Amino acid sequence: MKFYDVLASLIHDMKNSLSMVVHTLEQMTEDPSFHYDKPERVTALQNEANRLNNNLIELLTLYNIENERISPTIEDVDVANFLEEVIAENHASAEANHINLFAECDPDLYGYFDEGLVRGVMNNLVGNGLRYTRDTLCVSASQEDNYLVLRVEDNGAGYPKEMLAAQSSQDLHRDIAEGRTQLGLYFATLIAEMHKNKEQVGFIRLENGYKLTGGCFSVWLP
Amino acid sequence: MATKIEQLHFLIIDDYGDMRGVLRNMLQSFGVTHIDSVANGREAMALIESKRYDVILCDYNLGDGRDGQQILEEIRARRLVGVSTVFVMITAENTRLMVMGAVEYEPDSYLTKPFTKDLLAQRLERLLNRKADLLEIENAIDHKEYDVANALLDKRIEENPKNVNEFIKLKADLCIKAGAYDQAEAIYSGVLVQREIAWARLGIGKAYFGNRRYDEAKMVFQGLLDGNERFMAAYDWLAKTQLALDEPVQAQKVLETATSHSAKAIVRQRALGELAMANHDEKVAEHAFSQAIHLGKYSIYKHPSIYANLAKTKATNANGEAGLRVLRDLKKAFKGNKEADLYSSMTEAVLQEDMGNSVRARSCMDNAHELYKELGTKAAPELALDMARSCSKMGELDRAQEFLQQAVKNNHSDEAFLKQVGATLADLGLSDDPNALIADIKKGIVRLNNRGVELAKQGKLDEAMLLFEEAVDGMPGNKVVNLNAARIFMLQMKKSGIVPKRIDQVREYLTRVRQMDSENRTLHKMDRMLKQLLDGAKP
Repeated sequence: MKFYDVLASLIHDMKNSLSMVVHTLEQMTEDPSFHYDKPERVTALQNEANRLNNNLIELLTLYNIENERISPTIEDVDVANFLEEVIAENHASAEANHINLFAECDPDLYGYFDEGLVRGVMNNLVGNGLRYTRDTLCVSASQEDNYLVLRVEDNGAGYPKEMLAAQSSQDLHRDIAEGRTQLGLYFATLIAEMHKNKEQVGFIRLENGYKLTGGCFSVWLP
Repeated sequence: MATKIEQLHFLIIDDYGDMRGVLRNMLQSFGVTHIDSVANGREAMALIESKRYDVILCDYNLGDGRDGQQILEEIRARRLVGVSTVFVMITAENTRLMVMGAVEYEPDSYLTKPFTKDLLAQRLERLLNRKADLLEIENAIDHKEYDVANALLDKRIEENPKNVNEFIKLKADLCIKAGAYDQAEAIYSGVLVQREIAWARLGIGKAYFGNRRYDEAKMVFQGLLDGNERFMAAYDWLAKTQLALDEPVQAQKVLETATSHSAKAIVRQRALGELAMANHDEKVAEHAFSQAIHLGKYSIYKHPSIYANLAKTKATNANGEAGLRVLRDLKKAFKGNKEADLYSSMTEAVLQEDMGNSVRARSCMDNAHELYKELGTKAAPELALDMARSCSKMGELDRAQEFLQQAVKNNHSDEAFLKQVGATLADLGLSDDPNALIADIKKGIVRLNNRGVELAKQGKLDEAMLLFEEAVDGMPGNKVVNLNAARIFMLQMKKSGIVPKRIDQVREYLTRVRQMDSENRTLHKMDRMLKQLLDGAKP
C-alpha cells in the first residue's frame, strides 16, 4: 500500500468521525428540549470540529499539490450560488458564535475556477474570520480588472502590519519553514496561483479596512 | 417549478450506519417522510429495481462490493432510473480525484463530507430546480428525439439565461452525437473565443476526430494534456486518435500513462490490455487485464472477453495451466451465459492445442462453432476476430478467412473495426494485401446498397425490395443493410399495402440492429416509420 492510499483511507475514516461529531452537535443545539447552562462550550466544540475538518482538507490538498496529484479543473461557476453554499456550510457555526455572516454578489455573476479547490480556501477563510471578527463577516465577489475577486472581510482588529506586505507562495513557503506564518495563507496562495488564464496568474491580497473596519482577505482569480 | 421536497422519495446508500442516521435526520428536518436507507450496492440494486426514487444520496466508498460510481453506472446503463432522478455522490475528498476519468455516467452533483444540513438543503433545492429546468430537454435526448431537443435548446440559448453555457454545451454534445461535426466545431470555437475552457477544447478535438482530421485532433488532445496531465478524457481520445493514425505503440504508451494516474477505470484498463496484446506486449497486457477483472467484479463493464484475453496472456507469460485457471474463473463469473461459454471454448481450444492436447482442443473448437452459430446476429463483431484466431490455430484456415470476410461484410462502415480485421488478416497470414481485400468487399456492398436506393428512387420498389432481401441474407449482421432493407420494405408497403409476412421481416431486421446498437439514430427513425405505417393501416 502506498502512503497516499493510507492517507486517503485514514482521512476518509476521520471524516466519518468528524461528520458524526459535527452533526450530533448540530442536532443537540437545535433541539429545543436541550438545556445546558454553558452553551458556549458546545459552540467551542463546534468551532474546533470545523477547524479540524478544514485542516484535514488542507492537509490532503497540500499533499496532492506537492505530489502533483492535482491540476485545477476550470469550470463555469455560478458565483452567487457558490457563495450561498459557502454561507450555508458555515451558517450554523456563525449563529452559534453570534456572528452576522452574509454574502454580497451580483446574482448574474459567472466565474471560471476549480470549484472544489476554491471552496476549500473559502471555508478556511470563513472559519478563521469567525474566530477573529467582532460580530460581522461578509463574503463577497465581483469582477475587477479582468479578475474575479472573492473577499472575506470582518470587523475585528485587522491583520498585524507585518502580514500586510504582498507575498508569493515562495516567500510563504520559507516563512512556514521558519514557523512565521499560517499554513492557511500558504494554502490559499498556492491555490490562487494554480489558476491561470493567458498571461494572468491568480494571487491573494491582505488589507485592513476595505469596507468593514477589520481585515479583508481577497483571492484574485484570472 | 420543482415538486415540493416533502413529497419526494429518497434513497440513502452508505455503509456507515451512523452516517445513514445523520442523513435521515437531516432529510426529516426538511419534512421528507419517504426515506429508505441501505448499506451496500447489492441492497441498493434490489430496492431500485422494485421502486422509483426521486433522489439518491450515495456514498462513493462502500467497502466491499460495488462502489458509488459502479452503482450509478449500473442503474443508468440498465435504465433502472429515469433522467428525472437526482443522483448525489458523497465523497470524503473535496476533489474528484478518485472518480475523475472519462466516465460515461456522471452524478448530478458531488458533496464532500462533512456537510451541514443547511448546505444539503441549499444543494438539493438547486439540483431539483435545475432538473425541472432541463427535464424536457433531457427527456427528448433520452428518447433520441434529437430534433426536438435541438429546437428546445435553441429556444433556451436565444433567451440567453445566465447559465447559457450549460445549454450551449448540451447542444454541441448533441451535434457530436448526430455527426454534425462542422456545427459542433463552430459552437466550441465560439466558446473558446471568449475563454479557454477544457470542455470546449476537448469538444473541438472530438469534432476534428469525427471529421477525420486526426493530426489536428492529436494536437488538441496533446495540448490539453500539456496543460493538465490529469485530464483523463484527453488520454482516451489521444489514444483513439493515434490508433486512427496507425501509431499503436504510441497509443499504448498514452494509455499506460493514463492508467498510472488513475488506475480505477475498467474500460481504460481493458482498452490498454487489448492494445498491448495487439502490440505483442504480453506483460503489460496481462497486468491490464488482471486490473480490469479485479476492478470489474461488481461492474457492468465486466466482460468475458477480458478473462479470455487474460487466459491467453497468462499462457504466453507463464504456462497453459495458468491460462486454464483463468477460464475456470470465467465460467464461475458468468454462469449460464452463452457468449461467455463461447469465449471459454474458443480460448481453451488454443490453450489445449499449445499444450499438445489436440483431442481436447478439437472438441473445444467444435463446441465453439456450435455456440457461435447459436448466437447468430447476437454475436458481437469482435467475436468473429477471436474465432478467426482460434480457427487459424486449429488449422481451419478457410474458416478463419470466412469469419474475417463476413466481419467486413457485417461492419463495412466501421473504420476502427475494419482496421482490426485488417490487422488480424495480416497477423494470421491470410492475405498479402488485407487493405485491398477489405476495400474490395466494401466496394461491393456500397455498390449494392446504392443500386437498391437508386431503384427505390426510380419508384421500382419491388425490384429494390428483392435486392435488399438478398443483401440482408448475405450479411445479416450489417446494420446499414438491415436498416435500408427495413426502410425499402416499408416504403413498398406504404404504396402497395401491408403484407403481414413482410412486417415480420421488418421487425426482424430492426430487432437485429437493436441488438447490435440500441442507440442508433436511424433505428429510432425506422421504429417511428413502422409505427406510422401500422397506425395508418388501421381502419
